[in-house]
Amino acid sequence: MGSRTEIPPGTLYMLILKSIARLGPMHGYGIAQHIQQTSGDVLQVEEGSLYPALQRMLLKGWVAAEWKQSENNRRARYYRLTPEGRRQMTREVGEFERVMAAIVRVIEPA
Amino acid sequence: MRELLRRIRFWFHRAEFEREMEEEMRHHLAQLEEQGMPGAAARRQFGNLTLLQEESRAMWSFAIFEQFAQDVRYALRAMAANPLFTATAVVSLALGIGANTAIYSFMDAILLRALPVQHPEQLAVAEWRGPRHMAVVKGINGTMHGDGKGGSQSPNFPFAAYQVLGSPDRGPGMPGPYSGDGRVFSTLFAYTYVQNFNVITGGEAESVAGGFVSGNYFGGLGVPPAAGRLLDDGDDRAGAPAVVALSYAYWQRRFGGSADVAGKSILINNVPFTVVGVAAPGFFGVDPQTSPALFLPIHAMPALSPEPAAEERSRFFDQHFYWIEMMGRLRPGVGIEQAQAVMRTRFHAFAAGTAASPKDAEVLPELSLEEAGSGLDSLRRQYSKPLYVLMTMVGLILAIACANLANLLLSRAAARRREIAVRLSLGASRGRVVRQMLTESVLLAVTGGVLGLGVGFAGIRFLTWLLANGREDFTLRAALDWPVLGFTFALAVAAGMVFGLAPALEATKVDFTAGLKENRLQGTSGHGGRFRFRLGPTLIVLQMAVSLLLVIGAGLFVRTLANLHAIDVGFNRENLLLVRIDGRQGGYKDAALARFYAGLLDRFREIPGVRAASASNFPLVAHYVNNASVIPFGRTPQPGDPSTLILSVDPDFLETMQIPILLGRDLKRGDLASPNVAVVNQKFASAFFGSENPVGRQFWLDKQADPLIEIVGVAKAAHYNSLQEESAPVIYIPYTQNRDRRGPMFFELRTAGPPLSAAAAVRRVVHDASSSVSISEISTQAQRIDQTIAQERTFADLGSCFAALALLIACVGLYGSMAYAVARRTGEIGIRMALGAQRAGIIWMVLREVLAIAGAGLVLGYGAARLTTRFVASFLFGMKPNDPLAIGGAIAVLLAAALAAGYLPAWRASRIDPAKALRNE
Repeated sequence: MGSRTEIPPGTLYMLILKSIARLGPMHGYGIAQHIQQTSGDVLQVEEGSLYPALQRMLLKGWVAAEWKQSENNRRARYYRLTPEGRRQMTREVGEFERVMAAIVRVIEPA
Repeated sequence: MRELLRRIRFWFHRAEFEREMEEEMRHHLAQLEEQGMPGAAARRQFGNLTLLQEESRAMWSFAIFEQFAQDVRYALRAMAANPLFTATAVVSLALGIGANTAIYSFMDAILLRALPVQHPEQLAVAEWRGPRHMAVVKGINGTMHGDGKGGSQSPNFPFAAYQVLGSPDRGPGMPGPYSGDGRVFSTLFAYTYVQNFNVITGGEAESVAGGFVSGNYFGGLGVPPAAGRLLDDGDDRAGAPAVVALSYAYWQRRFGGSADVAGKSILINNVPFTVVGVAAPGFFGVDPQTSPALFLPIHAMPALSPEPAAEERSRFFDQHFYWIEMMGRLRPGVGIEQAQAVMRTRFHAFAAGTAASPKDAEVLPELSLEEAGSGLDSLRRQYSKPLYVLMTMVGLILAIACANLANLLLSRAAARRREIAVRLSLGASRGRVVRQMLTESVLLAVTGGVLGLGVGFAGIRFLTWLLANGREDFTLRAALDWPVLGFTFALAVAAGMVFGLAPALEATKVDFTAGLKENRLQGTSGHGGRFRFRLGPTLIVLQMAVSLLLVIGAGLFVRTLANLHAIDVGFNRENLLLVRIDGRQGGYKDAALARFYAGLLDRFREIPGVRAASASNFPLVAHYVNNASVIPFGRTPQPGDPSTLILSVDPDFLETMQIPILLGRDLKRGDLASPNVAVVNQKFASAFFGSENPVGRQFWLDKQADPLIEIVGVAKAAHYNSLQEESAPVIYIPYTQNRDRRGPMFFELRTAGPPLSAAAAVRRVVHDASSSVSISEISTQAQRIDQTIAQERTFADLGSCFAALALLIACVGLYGSMAYAVARRTGEIGIRMALGAQRAGIIWMVLREVLAIAGAGLVLGYGAARLTTRFVASFLFGMKPNDPLAIGGAIAVLLAAALAAGYLPAWRASRIDPAKALRNE
């Protein structure tokens, strides 16, 4: 896994929200895997920041958690999106795209 | 808001929540391992699990509070684990804070509280100073003090002086003597000391305190009436109707605060007076020490006297009779120095005008003004300097206590370096550790402060008891001073913070490796010893120095008290009961009064256990003085003639008091009937007759018109006014020729056993003799004498307590520090012993350190004592401030205490088993 890239600051919530929105309820490990695989191994989610981030999101009411059996018969906590979380995701994605587009305009020669 | 609700829900289910989080993380690790990552690598990637958990816990909960509760629990456990140190710190702080609060509360009540009148800061009280004997001052009725330089000072003036100094302008073109540029007061009012009156209201008799005041007194002070009106100039003149104003408290107590009290008639010493009104609540006059219930016009004084004409003559026309006190309100913009300059000149002129000859005018009393915003300075004179001294002492105790707290915290922090290093290396943040240590020190300080509150309450009670000294009429009531308590409390907490924070910051700065490697063998090495070796011993040296200062002080005060007790007063002060009875207030007069007293005396003498009984118009050595001027027959008065003290006595007086007759004879019963005889004391004989035999010589008392009095005997000199003052010339005359026949008498009963055991029989006798007469005071001569040295007693008692306290605190500090040092050096000492060191050598090694610290403290303390003991010189009697016995004794006490405190740790060090000490590593 040679080159690991830290997730840009402030985008972790958005990535988590988007992952859950795309695949439905999933557990922490699944979220980490999904982000890593979808990004083609470029983005590496630190467990040390993933779980605190999930806690914070629970606290803010963006996600809700539920214990379920996982695909390989383990007990795992599944996170699903709340309406509040969906709104938040739209907000964050919109904001990110706006900023991204701006950055692209700056760095790409016309 | 919803977030808060979630947090609260979490708080109730936190155990479950934490389990879930842990499981979730385990699940994640398991998944990683399934993916083929080795366990260790997976865990490394995951990071510090505990820290992670803690972080998310902090996110959810009220972590600050929880950690605080945790810290408090931990601190309490730590305190319980070191009970000796904890007790030392807490108790010494409690004593320091409590003692300070109590002393400051008194200080506030005495020195700082302003009179409850308008603009108290404008008030100034007049007094004069002068040599002890002045020709122009022939008699004083009121208080007089030594000024500490062989002279006297007194707030009493002749009425004529008040008239001259206080008379207002008489209008344009008719300037008073006190006008124009010299007009420094807006009013100058007068009053007398407070005395007791027999008051009959509604057929019920009661002894009530009252004072005479000038007509402009209430106006000058700016005190409004609570009912009716107060006295004015119209009430205070010769021939005015007899009226009286009441204090608010008396009005409430006696008349239930009824609004129609004005116009009521009450009997004061059998003379009808009309009540005009009531003073504002809270007003107690100008002397915080007294609280008169009655305010009478000064011109009502003769009406209350058995001989109105004579009283009027002496009070209002005798320019040599000093009896009235004056207070003025400064005009806006006038300073007290300016007023004093003007008043001094005017009074000087007045006094010079009263001198009979140019020679008499050479020594005159000199007027001065004192600020009176907090009331008369009699209380302050009595207690302020003592209070400052006591405050200094308790302040020093607080300092010692804080030093102990600091020492405790320093050594605790040093001892915990290893623990702290472990915590830090396990991921605890520095702030978190510092916070935990601070919690501990503040908790100690707060516990000390709370206990200090209790000590403060108890201290105020104790001080009240000590200062009142058996007097039931003690009016000074100190309340717990909350600002002061807050201040001392804050000081203690601050001390806890500072001395807790410094080592906490220092300790958390550790280099992990050194901290973790630190062990008992190295003990004092590394920078772990830094604080202990610099600040710790310095604090103990200072504690020792301060303790020495306090012990020297206590030694001086105790020796002073012992010197006072050792004074030979010239009579036998033991087994003597004093009973004050005022027959005149019970309706007896003149001959009937004399018969009543004689009958009482006869019955007292029959009480079993009473060996002798006598009476005098006041007791000896109780700060009573009656001056008289004596003119020996056939000898022209000389300016150097001392003024003479006079005591009216029953003929049995000298025998009862056991004052020996040196020449001639004692007074005898028959002298009561033919009264023109007297016994004089040695001092009188030598002052007026030199080496001649005075027996048979005659003299006039005050006026040459009165009959001559013959000297029949000479008595040995005995103390008259006070314990400290050597006796002056005194004459003892039969009480039937008592010049002031106001009536109260003190009866002296010489008993076989304890004097108070005769008290019940005395009360019965008086009750049987007359139902209208009551005993106003019953005490022993020894108690009376003790009351006159209350200050010295207070100093000796409190000084000893404080010194013992300081010594105890300092020694416990020393003990703790040495015990700690020995514990840290266990390994080193073990090696020394393994290498052949003797037990005695080990003991000496530790004691040497104790001696070094104590020695440094003693040198410092001795230097400080040399510089400061002179400030208490005026409280000492019969000794110099640098009394070698007191200083030497204090040094010995301190050395002994230090060695005792150091010996236990030293002995323990010598008992260290080298094998065990080394195995510990």
